[in-house]
Amino acid sequence: MSAFKDFDTTWVMVVDIDKCTGCGACMAACQTENNIAPQPDASNKLRTVSWMTVYELSNKMPFPDHDMAYLPRPCMQCGNPPCVSVCPVIATDKNENGGIVSQIYPRCIGCRYCVAACPYHARVFGWYDPVWPEGMQKTLTPLTSTRPRGVVEKCNFCHHRLNLAKDAARAQGKNPEDLEDGAYKPSCAEICPTGAISFGDAKNAKHKVHELIKSPNAFRLLERLGTKPQVYYYSKREWVRRQGDNYLKSEKV
Amino acid sequence: MGIDRRAFIGLVAGGVAGTLFTPIPWKMADDLSIWSQNWSWIPRVPKGPVAYAYTSSKLCPSGTGLKVMTVGGAPVTAAGNPDHPLSQGGVSSIGRSETYMLYSPARVKSPLKKVNGKFEPVTWEEALTALAEKCKAAGAKIACVSGDQTGTANEVLSAFIAKQGSSAYYMVPSEKQSAAKAWSLMGGAGQPGFDVDNADCVFILGADMFETWGSSIRNRKAFGASRDASGDAKAAFIYAGPERDGTGSVCDAWIPVKPGDLAMVALGVAWILMEAGAMPSGPGAAEFVSYVKSNCSPDKVEAACGLKPAVLVGVAKMLAGAKAPLVVPGSPCGQGGSAAAFMAGMALNMLLGRINKPGGVVALPALPKAVDGAMDQADILKNDLLAFLKDAGAGKAPEAVLFYEANPAYGLPEADAMAEAIAKIPFKVSFASFMDETAALCDLVLPNSLTLERFDDVASPYGVAFNVYSLVKPLTKPIYDTRTTADFILALAEKMGASLGFASMEEVLKAKVEALALAGGFIAKDVQPWQALAGSSAPEPSADLWADLEGGYAWVLAAGAEQTGLGYAGGVLAKAVKPIEGKVVLAPYARQTSGTPVMGIPAQNLTIVPDNELINTATFVKMNAETASWFGVSEGSSITIEGAGQKLPVKVHLSENVMTGVIAAPLGFGHSAFDQYSKGKGVNILRVLAARVEEGAGVAVWDGAAVNIA
Repeated sequence: MSAFKDFDTTWVMVVDIDKCTGCGACMAACQTENNIAPQPDASNKLRTVSWMTVYELSNKMPFPDHDMAYLPRPCMQCGNPPCVSVCPVIATDKNENGGIVSQIYPRCIGCRYCVAACPYHARVFGWYDPVWPEGMQKTLTPLTSTRPRGVVEKCNFCHHRLNLAKDAARAQGKNPEDLEDGAYKPSCAEICPTGAISFGDAKNAKHKVHELIKSPNAFRLLERLGTKPQVYYYSKREWVRRQGDNYLKSEKV
Repeated sequence: MGIDRRAFIGLVAGGVAGTLFTPIPWKMADDLSIWSQNWSWIPRVPKGPVAYAYTSSKLCPSGTGLKVMTVGGAPVTAAGNPDHPLSQGGVSSIGRSETYMLYSPARVKSPLKKVNGKFEPVTWEEALTALAEKCKAAGAKIACVSGDQTGTANEVLSAFIAKQGSSAYYMVPSEKQSAAKAWSLMGGAGQPGFDVDNADCVFILGADMFETWGSSIRNRKAFGASRDASGDAKAAFIYAGPERDGTGSVCDAWIPVKPGDLAMVALGVAWILMEAGAMPSGPGAAEFVSYVKSNCSPDKVEAACGLKPAVLVGVAKMLAGAKAPLVVPGSPCGQGGSAAAFMAGMALNMLLGRINKPGGVVALPALPKAVDGAMDQADILKNDLLAFLKDAGAGKAPEAVLFYEANPAYGLPEADAMAEAIAKIPFKVSFASFMDETAALCDLVLPNSLTLERFDDVASPYGVAFNVYSLVKPLTKPIYDTRTTADFILALAEKMGASLGFASMEEVLKAKVEALALAGGFIAKDVQPWQALAGSSAPEPSADLWADLEGGYAWVLAAGAEQTGLGYAGGVLAKAVKPIEGKVVLAPYARQTSGTPVMGIPAQNLTIVPDNELINTATFVKMNAETASWFGVSEGSSITIEGAGQKLPVKVHLSENVMTGVIAAPLGFGHSAFDQYSKGKGVNILRVLAARVEEGAGVAVWDGAAVNIA
């Protein structure tokens, strides 16, 4: 496993699970922002392409004591990414200020080592050529390149938006390495109807997430693997936080 | 000289060895690897200047403002407009689909006429002539069915049939219509609205308000604003309904209640409030008190619904202890809601003194009309589409029916009977943008341009606590040979010598905006309408309202209608409150991921539909383990649901989110029309859902129904 990489800027996402209604708007936003083709048979979830997936959590109690929650899962942009060290062709790397794990499609040879290495199932393999119905390709965005079948793809925190935010800062004579809170937001965070997804620089005290991640209710998935994800979750419900890792019954969360 | 065996072998071996020293085999192997892996062409991303334009969503019932990204002038993605009060940057998966659905394979690409059972393209001029003839022949025997809950196009269409001498204008049933009927039974004025933003304790009585009820993006924004992760929640939310899903999953408490029992639960809370000293007054109060005192004590509610008295006491205490409590009644599936539940919920609001208060119920006065002769919204909402179609099925159909943004052949309860009734209408025209089930039955299909291609508007979606108006303007030329229906109807009226006084929808909207400017109100920029409701002073009216609306801003009017005749309708409630009899109740639910009846499942949304709702062509219904044990079924079992004279094959998903005795089933699947993203995906649950008529209220209800399982 590669060593932990720290950066002056660390882009983090904080998902407030207690506010997520599971509506799927984040998934819809992600798909069209990042030019993922519609899939006529999308019910086989092992073969569909989706960079953001909303999972349903259950406290495993019978009715009426049952409780549930939704957990949207993008790429965790791990501080110590297991996918990077296994890539034989350096198609994925973590080397830019901000800590976003890159994915370079033309370099990817489709070996899927990274898919196997990712403990979060955040990486997807394109099993089929992307096909848009006639004319629909005219609604592709200029932001993310299209990918052929046979390569691995994943969420990149809408990295193009970071570039756009930096450009906008430069145009305004501001420091592109010190963006204001909210100047850069991935598409999912922007359109979430309940505002469950917060985004910002964890190292910047002026950004809301700087404080949010310090909350005792904030947690990361499978933290004890040492992957140091840059995606945090937040829930006041103990059973939700407990599902963030493989805790023993005797352990407190 | 002969070639012996040894020479032959030597020749072959020498040839092979020789060939290996040439580049031929290596080149061939290389070519083979290239040509056998020849990746097919994939689309490249567009190039061009990126800009943003503003409009509002007509496909999404939330009526959200949209911020559309364009590349070289062509729309590519739709996000929520951060400066619009109904979206504040949020958008649903339906609103998001406004751009790519322009190219949906299900779009009707030109006017179509049915000849010998098959559609053939015709020109707009031919269609205009044909329809004018039919309309003249039909005279007053013409009707219109509209699914557009918020548009001024309804004024154009209703004025058109009114000129013909008809008042047969029907809205596709919605939460808005259920509420309007129940609210008028209580003597209420205006369109009921709920100020969720200023409430500090919201008791949600059945309404799936974060998914399908009202302006759900606005509701979710209000919910989100009430609970900042860095502090304590500013408002408590309690959900009562058959399933803990979507809305229920984020509320502070879930009270499991079957669809037919929602009224009883609300009245049980009313009983406790009355015991604590709340005293109803006004029309119908005496009957209300008498009915509630003798029938809705907590022990009687427990006997009827299985709810422990302590639960009701808890709700009553939370409501009574809150500064700004609010009860939001509605349907768990976004349609066919119970009038009894609505009246009971509103009675609670009245008991708590929450009418025309910040954080309470604010009913909206009707907005001025632009088209002379157009029917009033309130009158239109009194017309019952279900009864109309049942009459049509019995041979009492008018000569001609126009369907605008409506797909009743799919989207109504007892869908098979509805489709049969529609088939019996002598001449029918659909203005559908997509080839839906109703359009497939019609004689003429005259495609309406989509949101991003037309002038239209969104006026006060149901549920909001302030009048709000936003403009829909074309951001691109029509992709196919489609027209704005309102423009076509104006031309049709002109051709028939019954001009409506406008040449285009744009002119109609300008007249509407002029009328709005005279009504007061302001542009929601620095002050939001919920802030005005809470007492902030409203800014000056806009100097150029049309320009502001074109810029994506919304006009708002934060003032409630005066209530002079509002009462408890105790007599009606006493008759209407009845549980659904049956061992197991089918409780439908709707998700925005599966689109709406007029658009089918948006192409990109199929990936979002979870695999506990749809796998290949199988629809999954949810029930808990105890209910499953009654029928001896388990996860993945195939069962048949019988109801309304129909049988539907479905599969079982075990979910403890569903209360015992209830089967929760997703709407939005089982289309027989549209495209590969909708057609044949699952089953349409509405086919087994029978509507029941609530006695006293006389309102058809289908938020749940008793069914048999085999």
